[in-house]
Amino acid sequence: MSSTTDAVSSSATESSVGVSGAPKKRKRKALGTIFWISICWIGVVFLLAIVASWIGLDDPNNGDFSLINSSPSWAHPFGTDDLGRDILSRVIYGARVSLIVGFGAMGIGMSIGGTLGMIAAYRRGAVDTLVSAASYVMLAFPALVAVIAIVAFWGHDIWKITIIVGVASTPLVYRVIRAATLSYATREFVTAAKAQGATDTRILSRELLPNVLPTVISYFLIGVATVIILEGALAFLGLSVPAPTASWGNMINESRTYLSDNPWLALFPSMAMFLFLIALNLVGDALRQSFDAQESKL
Amino acid sequence: MSAETAPLLSVKDLTVSFKKGRQVVQAVAGISFDVYEGETLGLVGESGCGKSTTGRAIVRIEEPTSGEVLVAGKRLTGLGRGELRRARTSIQMIFQDPVSSLNPRRRVNDIVAEPIDIWKTETGDQRAATVREMLEAVGLDPDVAGDRYPREFSGGQCQRISIARALVMKPKVLICDEMVSALDVSVQAQILNLVEDLKAKYGLTLVFIAHDLAVVKNVSDRVAVMYLGRLCEVAPSDDLYALPAHPYTQALLSAVVEPDPEKATTHVTLTGEPPSPINPPTGCRFRTRCPSAQERCSSEVPELREIAPRHQVACHFPTLRP
Amino acid sequence: MSNEQSSIAFPSTEELSGPLLRVKDLRTTFSTPRGSLTAVDGVSFELGRGETLGIVGESGSGKTVLARSVMGLLPRSNTTQTGSILFEETEIVGAQEATLREIWGAKIAMVFQDPMTSLNPVVRIQRQITESLRLHTSMDRAEAKATAISLLSQVGIPSPAERVRAYPFQLSGGMRQRVTIAIALACSPRLLLADEPTTGLDVTVQAQILDLLSSLQSARQMAVILVTHDLGVVATRTDRIAVMYAGHIVEMASTKRLFASMAMPYTQALLRSTPRISQPSHTRLIAIDGRPPDLINPPSGCAFAPRCTYATDQCRSERPPLRTAAEDPTHLFACWNPLQTGNAGSITTAKGEN
Repeated sequence: MSSTTDAVSSSATESSVGVSGAPKKRKRKALGTIFWISICWIGVVFLLAIVASWIGLDDPNNGDFSLINSSPSWAHPFGTDDLGRDILSRVIYGARVSLIVGFGAMGIGMSIGGTLGMIAAYRRGAVDTLVSAASYVMLAFPALVAVIAIVAFWGHDIWKITIIVGVASTPLVYRVIRAATLSYATREFVTAAKAQGATDTRILSRELLPNVLPTVISYFLIGVATVIILEGALAFLGLSVPAPTASWGNMINESRTYLSDNPWLALFPSMAMFLFLIALNLVGDALRQSFDAQESKL
Repeated sequence: MSAETAPLLSVKDLTVSFKKGRQVVQAVAGISFDVYEGETLGLVGESGCGKSTTGRAIVRIEEPTSGEVLVAGKRLTGLGRGELRRARTSIQMIFQDPVSSLNPRRRVNDIVAEPIDIWKTETGDQRAATVREMLEAVGLDPDVAGDRYPREFSGGQCQRISIARALVMKPKVLICDEMVSALDVSVQAQILNLVEDLKAKYGLTLVFIAHDLAVVKNVSDRVAVMYLGRLCEVAPSDDLYALPAHPYTQALLSAVVEPDPEKATTHVTLTGEPPSPINPPTGCRFRTRCPSAQERCSSEVPELREIAPRHQVACHFPTLRP
Repeated sequence: MSNEQSSIAFPSTEELSGPLLRVKDLRTTFSTPRGSLTAVDGVSFELGRGETLGIVGESGSGKTVLARSVMGLLPRSNTTQTGSILFEETEIVGAQEATLREIWGAKIAMVFQDPMTSLNPVVRIQRQITESLRLHTSMDRAEAKATAISLLSQVGIPSPAERVRAYPFQLSGGMRQRVTIAIALACSPRLLLADEPTTGLDVTVQAQILDLLSSLQSARQMAVILVTHDLGVVATRTDRIAVMYAGHIVEMASTKRLFASMAMPYTQALLRSTPRISQPSHTRLIAIDGRPPDLINPPSGCAFAPRCTYATDQCRSERPPLRTAAEDPTHLFACWNPLQTGNAGSITTAKGEN
């Protein structure tokens, strides 16, 4: 029977070196130092936002009126704003808003839009047609205008904003995830799973989701970045979280009036937002590249 | 394999129609055949004849528009979703593209064990043992191959993994849909030999769908020839290839290239192109290209009838044996 | 080996003596992230005018890379080529693109495997044919269109005057392949490279296309290199066959001789592992164990040794050179233990090999 065996051990080991890319260790294209720095930075921001109340920061909402618009000093490393509030503390507390709105809204978008996208791509037919049509309608509506209108009408506390932005992002997430899933849903391993008697739920969660996950993750991160900017836009219209709560958008908005007097007001929240967004983008991009490289070998 | 024993797989008047825009394409136009236990039925034809669609319709991956499929006497068509799912374990399929048939993000062990996991028939050690046994049966070393991902394997090895996965639940019938078409010649030979061995070892019944006539002859006991959604001829392999009765079979056989420089290249050139399945010719679908076509062929659809023991032809003017 | 140029009515060229194509010690290497991959490793052969050479091999044997090297169609980056490809006094290896562009289409043409991807899906057939004509000849639009229609009828497309305005997707696979042949033949090249031209086509269409190539070739006295994995395709339509494995030519002989007295175990193994209609059903195929070698780290010695049933220690350590068979000096093979009984020929240096 030797003609049927595939020279078992030799060719299977051959396959690990001969067929796959590099030997098993270097499975993924190296993600790079920039990636790791970005990950660390994101981690730092998260950490600070969580432990903000416990690390002895100055009160972000009440200031020392004697120190209005002061430049950075030992007591106030980022300076103070026009109401004497410590900017460093406001930046850190402000991170909370960005994180909640950003990750929360994208979380909503991914859960609803992503799930619908996967189901639509897998099932096709009526479900796909209907939901896709609905998404086209929603996408045709200018998102920013819609968000502004609804926020202005409904109210702008942090949770309402998160929900509104989340729902507004759903159609786009739906389209992206649907497209990503489509390329896998037509492959024969999905048909094979069906032929073995797997339920639709099982196919979606065990066959499709692991393949779509890389797209989900990298798109998610880039989406968070977009939402954070959106929060900034809302702030400029006075529609972000109400004063005195600090948010990066609010701070940048307020700093406009004092730009000539106290440029520090604008600098630090902008830097914080900038650095965080670029970290998100770099991570999302690096992950996407790494997954693309894997994809091409698949 | 007498005519008295009931067939293991029975296909009756199977029709599969698709809507293409506003037109209806009848990819499979009412075919019937039986496959007996332990035999391999080869299903051969050119592209567009509907053989792959037939295979998929039997397993109900494509839904048949009408007709019946029975496996071991139980109807597969007409089952509801839940029952259909349960019935799937008795009839499995192997696909053409070896790489795309495997989930790239799962390890080989998990891929092969998937049917066990779906149906929860075994757990833990027993599950692992079954996976090992299957991987060994298809000629892969479980210790080396088990933990790897499909991308680390060649096309032939991926096809072996697919076979292992298909056989895990010990199906009664195996449908092989162009399973060696994407493989190199030498790998193809390995896989064909493997299939023969597994068939003997596990008592499988196969429907082997392919377009390569030589491959089909090698692996099949009986062969069915399809043209444009209909069966032309069904006969035991050696009979079919030695004494084809249907003009289409004759044309196909004469066009095959053999690696033998002494073989003359004269052959029956089929005139024209295959007609579109959207508007197939009336009566016998082959008549527009048939050298023996006559009046009757355009008005009357030829039915499969027996012209010699176990040799059926759907033709009004078949070449009968002396 | 050179044939007389017959006086056919197409733009004639000056008579040249000597072979049309002379490949000497061609080595093509690609640099990949894993290392350098030698796809073609020291290949030499000659081709006369009007001759048909079949190059047979499985995937990874280097046959497609060889065909593209002959044409000069390899990517510029990450590719190194050494050796010489002499086409009618023009050196292809290292040639400037301008030189190559004059040859492409006009003197050497190629027919690719998949007609759907080798035809531009958004351009009408007419323009795809006339493009080459307008580039290489001084025809005007009307002449070019007339020639295109004539070409389409020569390749057997019915109603050519209508079909010439069609898009590729409106034609069937067989038709599309005929169109690619028409495009290739438009400027009457001296050499046609056909890379798996019928793989993927139905068997009846395959027969038609191969017949078409044969008849066109003899009408135009064109040399053809037919690259394929199918020994059946080359058995009746070639003058000579070269069998490739792991980047080398391991056997080369006239077609009749190759099938009658093949020397290489690989050739024999290839033949035995192919199912044939003439064999009875359930004939056990003698499959070749294992898989083709990794071209980045090829094994020492003969590349086929790990899979060869006749391999000896010498085969595993020393690479056999191409030698000629004693009975027939045009039969070359590279094997320490060739198939003929005893020693199949003295170890004379094959032509072109060192």
